[in-house]
Amino acid sequence: MDRVTRLLTAALTALALMLPALVQAAPLRIEITEGVVEPLPFAVPGFIAESSGAEDWGARLAQVVADDLNGTGLFRQIGQDAFISRPTSFAAPVQYADWKAINAQALIMGAVAVADNGQLTVKFRVYDVFSDQELGRGLQFQGTTEGWRRMAHKVADAVYSRITGEAGYFDSRVVFVSETGPKNDRRKRLAIMDYDGANVQYLTDSSSIVLAPRFSPTGDRVLYTSYATGFPRIHVLDVGNTRSRILETQTDAMSFAPRFAPNGQSAVFSLSEGANTDIFLMDLGSGSTRRLTNTPAIETAPSYSPDGSQIVFESDRSGSQQLYIMPASGGEARRISFGDGRYGTPVWSPRGDLIAFTKQHKGRFHIGVMRTDGSEERLLTASFLDEGPTWAPNGRVIMFTRETQGASGQASLYSVDVSGRNLKRVRTPGAASDPSWGPLQ
Amino acid sequence: MDDIPERARRAHIGHWVSGIAHVGLIGWLLIGPLFEVEPLPFDVTNVTTISEEEYAALVGAAASVEAPEPEVAPVVPETPQAPEVPQPEDTPPPAPVEETPAPTPPEPLEATPAPEPEVVPEQPAPPAPVVTDAQDVAPPEPLPPANEDVAVVLPERSIRPRPRPAPRVAPEPVAPPEPEVAIEDTTQDAVVPDESVEAPEPVEEQEATAQEEATSEIVTEADEPPSGAPERSVRPRPRPANRPTPAPAATETETPTETAETPAAPPSTADAVNDLLADLQASGATDTPAAPSGPPLTAGERNDLRVAVQNCWQVDVGSAASRVTVVVAMEMEENGRVVTNSLRMVRSDGGDGRAAEIAFQAARRAIIRCQNQGGRNGYDLPPEKYDQWREIEMTFNPANVGRNP
Repeated sequence: MDRVTRLLTAALTALALMLPALVQAAPLRIEITEGVVEPLPFAVPGFIAESSGAEDWGARLAQVVADDLNGTGLFRQIGQDAFISRPTSFAAPVQYADWKAINAQALIMGAVAVADNGQLTVKFRVYDVFSDQELGRGLQFQGTTEGWRRMAHKVADAVYSRITGEAGYFDSRVVFVSETGPKNDRRKRLAIMDYDGANVQYLTDSSSIVLAPRFSPTGDRVLYTSYATGFPRIHVLDVGNTRSRILETQTDAMSFAPRFAPNGQSAVFSLSEGANTDIFLMDLGSGSTRRLTNTPAIETAPSYSPDGSQIVFESDRSGSQQLYIMPASGGEARRISFGDGRYGTPVWSPRGDLIAFTKQHKGRFHIGVMRTDGSEERLLTASFLDEGPTWAPNGRVIMFTRETQGASGQASLYSVDVSGRNLKRVRTPGAASDPSWGPLQ
Repeated sequence: MDDIPERARRAHIGHWVSGIAHVGLIGWLLIGPLFEVEPLPFDVTNVTTISEEEYAALVGAAASVEAPEPEVAPVVPETPQAPEVPQPEDTPPPAPVEETPAPTPPEPLEATPAPEPEVVPEQPAPPAPVVTDAQDVAPPEPLPPANEDVAVVLPERSIRPRPRPAPRVAPEPVAPPEPEVAIEDTTQDAVVPDESVEAPEPVEEQEATAQEEATSEIVTEADEPPSGAPERSVRPRPRPANRPTPAPAATETETPTETAETPAAPPSTADAVNDLLADLQASGATDTPAAPSGPPLTAGERNDLRVAVQNCWQVDVGSAASRVTVVVAMEMEENGRVVTNSLRMVRSDGGDGRAAEIAFQAARRAIIRCQNQGGRNGYDLPPEKYDQWREIEMTFNPANVGRNP
């Protein structure tokens, strides 16, 4: 008994001796659960001209890069009037203290040179100012002066990727329906532009109504619906030469709402037979079709998952317009939308984690996102008429159509961050609708 | 009326008791011898004054003398620790042990000859023969278990070093204590087991507490009245091998007696536990200088730090990184600035490696950037609690950041 007592005493004493050391050895632990959601300040001095006549190119390139980053809502450019020092050489060491002093968290240094043959060379480096180190390595692009905007977009994509860890979306294009004329005599034609509204080009004339263009995964083709034959038919257009052809579906049925499969070799679309509309799959090479749904309900707006294994679509089989997911080969579908209102035009995110949709509820339209199981539904917008979402290639931004109310109302393109922030109008020459965001070039 | 006899009877109770006691005593004196038995036999040892030569001869002969019978033990004055001491098997003659603490020092187990030569020149006042003896017996040889039993014969009171004639004050200012000397609120003298006494448990030197720099005199053990054998076993505090011997004067005089230590009783379970305790204590003492000290940060101080960092933590709520929780560890300078190179991601949860890296970079920027916010140069942390925030782990959990635009 005495021994037991002594052993217990010894054990307790040992614990008492060790406890302070154990406690003291632990570092101070702090948990941060709140932060700020504000743009990251960055500095981008004008790209240094390394050849005669390149000064103007340097300024223009730097401005496009800054605009790209500013436009995301994630970055905020620091005005050059706040700069303490101005780099004069691309190879000069960075004076981090000067940039820290103006709270520039990222510094973009660039240089540009123009050869006699018109070849434009752009190189840049990105610095994490407060870490006193470069982010990644220097990168250089070469091209013609005609493609200077694309080069600037590529620089911005690289900067964006290095800071956020995600792929950019600046060097991408959007195909959309350009609209002219009053509402009762609206003329529509396909157009393509840079993601920021620059470099608009028209792909079709306005002789017939066109609807719902969809980029191919590689950006070289566009599927769209045209009334050229008197009723809606699906066409495929080659972006390079603007030639189009009708997809040989059933000649006596309306086909619409096409979308490419991720492999680009096939497409899904809706075919309307009488009062019934179902989803079909077509092999673009052979023209063969296969029914994927077979219900008396209206089922349309199919969209593939990024891996091509599933299709999300809208259906009123339950009595109201809701979202469903079925295997890419057809079969039993499961409903994923259960909120109030009607859901339509679902689009699977390139990331694969979200589905964007249009929701009509209580007389208003919303663009929203939900997880692929229908959870975590979030409405990002609300207006008289918002519809037709399309994802940026990195799955970060959604572009959609917003139409204003009234006889004078017109459609415009808007974009919004998937977080619901940074809602802004996309600059287009006129009214625009039905955007489809293409891949990175 | 009835109370009067009762009170009288109570008043005479003392007389009754006294009378009975006297009668009993007288009777025992008269009749007691009739029951007396013969006294128990006992050994008588004559103590006489002997000469030095005779003593030396006696010591020489003692080695060959067989151990006395266990019955001799009661003759030896008992010590408080006697019950804990194992029963001796071979006990040397008690006389040499009692009379000569130094001349027959057992072989020291843990003699520390290295610091002793330094001690001697600094200690001119006290006689140094014991030190010399310690050096003479420097080759430490582990005592066989039989010799360990020598310690069983404990004096009732430990033989203390001879008091000095006057308070010992170093002729020169005493150097500050070594860093490893523990600073305590109360002075604790070096506890030195008697060289001739084998404590029941290993009683090694108790390092003296720091020499009081502010005191006007040095109080050494010699100035204290003999306290006899330790009433409580003072746990040994073995010094690390690379730790220099403290140089306070208070310990210098004790060095010789330290060398006279003899091992304790044979190993036992209790000793093993004690050894474990000693090791723990020693390790704790070793860690003490590096361990944080001072009171912990208050909730307000922790909150200030949290607010300072979160004000700079920019979360990209739409990114994959916004679903990643990262834990960032860092080391701090005493001025509140972060040791930039020490920033590292301890762990992450909620995303792939790329997202975790981006989340870490955002947290890293927040930590570095915010130490300069508001014109400050480093985080505003209490310097007296530096040990508490020398190392910090911050968990950045963006789960609830900016979810409602």
